[in-house]
Amino acid sequence: MRILLEIWLLFKRKMLETIRQPVWVFMALTTPLLYISLFSPLLKNLSNPPLSTGKVLDAFVPGVLTLLAFIGGTGAGYGVIGELQTGVIERLRVSPVSRFSLLMGTILRDIVAFLVPSVLVIFIAHLFGFKAHAGGLLVMLVLLSLLTAIVSAWSGSLGLILKQASSMAALVAGLELPLTLLSGVLLPISLGPKWLQAIAHINPLYYVVEASRVLGTGTIGDTEVFKAFAVIVPLVIVTLFWATRVYRKAIS
Amino acid sequence: MNAIEIRNVKKSFQGKRNQKTVEAVKGISLSVKPGEIFGFLGPNGAGKTTSLRMLTTLLPIDEGEAKIGEYDVKRNPREVRKHIGYVGQLGGADIEATGRENLMLSGRLYGIAKKAAQKQSELLMDLLDLRDIIDRLVKTYSGGQRRRLEIALGILHKPDVLFLDEPTTGLDPQNRANLWEHIRRLKSAGMTVFLTTHYLEEADELCDRLCIMDKGIIVAEGTPQILKREISGDVVSIKPKNNQGDLAYMFDDEEDVLDIRIEGGKTSLYVKDGAIAMPKIFNVLKGRGVELESVSLSQPSLDDVFLKQTGKSLRDTGMEASL
Repeated sequence: MRILLEIWLLFKRKMLETIRQPVWVFMALTTPLLYISLFSPLLKNLSNPPLSTGKVLDAFVPGVLTLLAFIGGTGAGYGVIGELQTGVIERLRVSPVSRFSLLMGTILRDIVAFLVPSVLVIFIAHLFGFKAHAGGLLVMLVLLSLLTAIVSAWSGSLGLILKQASSMAALVAGLELPLTLLSGVLLPISLGPKWLQAIAHINPLYYVVEASRVLGTGTIGDTEVFKAFAVIVPLVIVTLFWATRVYRKAIS
Repeated sequence: MNAIEIRNVKKSFQGKRNQKTVEAVKGISLSVKPGEIFGFLGPNGAGKTTSLRMLTTLLPIDEGEAKIGEYDVKRNPREVRKHIGYVGQLGGADIEATGRENLMLSGRLYGIAKKAAQKQSELLMDLLDLRDIIDRLVKTYSGGQRRRLEIALGILHKPDVLFLDEPTTGLDPQNRANLWEHIRRLKSAGMTVFLTTHYLEEADELCDRLCIMDKGIIVAEGTPQILKREISGDVVSIKPKNNQGDLAYMFDDEEDVLDIRIEGGKTSLYVKDGAIAMPKIFNVLKGRGVELESVSLSQPSLDDVFLKQTGKSLRDTGMEASL
């Protein structure tokens, strides 16, 4: 099918561009490890008696992976802005390439760029006592890849709409902080007061985090998991539909 | 069948907040024959780029009809895209990739098989002198090299019409002349080229036919030769020794002098025939005791055409725009 070929070609191009930036590769691989090595020890002494490293990682790794999935998508908009400025997007828009393929090329790149460091994190955490349940982790990575797709599509579309890296940065920072704080990515939201938990329920990211924690324990058939997919799958469909429209119309 | 056919095409942009609507293109009609190099000449803001963007499906057409070959731009943009090449002002090469990667990706996205795309890339490397730099990242290219690659990207899929938006802007004179040579080669290969420019020399040197555009309308159309002939006759430019002020009144009674323009100390007299008018002009000046520093006789330029049609010099408007 033509569209699959287009997506594959555009994905390959984005992927090549990514691995040619050594700084990016280095940061992508070290950031999650810094979270694990510098932040997770803080959790150790939260309870009395202190938790074992393995127990801490069991609670913490799903959160870090969710954070990686979320942040992994946010960069797409900057790439789009760069391509707007060099005219790449304009050139592709004059070609018969489907607008959906343009969008998907970047999304797939972001998903791969999320999965590679994630597997590394899981592997290293496992060495320090993190209990890895293959089935649960697999479903978790699928769920998180969908999250990356949503964020990536949003970021790319906002890049097309805003056209400027400075406004893009402001908006991303402005959205990223409340969304992550209200999701319980780093610490479970259940530690917080009732009102905080109430607000968290309108945050799609919250359901992903809750499901990831459950999936981390190896349980797949759980209501939290169903809830998360029930929130995320429709959101993926709506987002892709909207983003394709933006790709079709934007840039005057 | 014409390569491009436009009938009464209009485009206006909604102004922000309380500003009124801007009519960027106020109804233009033209046709371009296959194999022609056709140019849109005009100052910045004349509506050239807007027109080009409508023809290349980048902007919706408000009113009127446009066809590329047999394909209607409004009704069948997908088909139009397959049959045109476009090099915008921004260029559009992926600077993080090599020239070869750019060519191959573009070819494959246009549905050309891998082998055929490779073969076509090889051809274009020779046609546009890219062979030595083809495996370098585009961000290391010079302006002229990058522009040549971008033109290669525009014609890789063998379009019927190639659209170039200000192709030589930002290039030095040597690279500009070099690029003209390459564009002529495309023409001799049978391609129709539609370009916009605000350089008079470019329109004059390169275009078979051109439109002069100003404020959203076409003010003149024809071959550079015919357009210049419409100005009829020659231009005698005189520069008096001391600043004599306005010399125009001296020629009020001279029938040979059709029109007079004064630009920065230089007085241009538009005459039917320079050879006959020159002695008369000298006589008038001698009678008034005006000593000349220099005098020149020339054919009218496209700037003179522009001046006549719009009442202003393209060089002036160009200067304003770049300030």
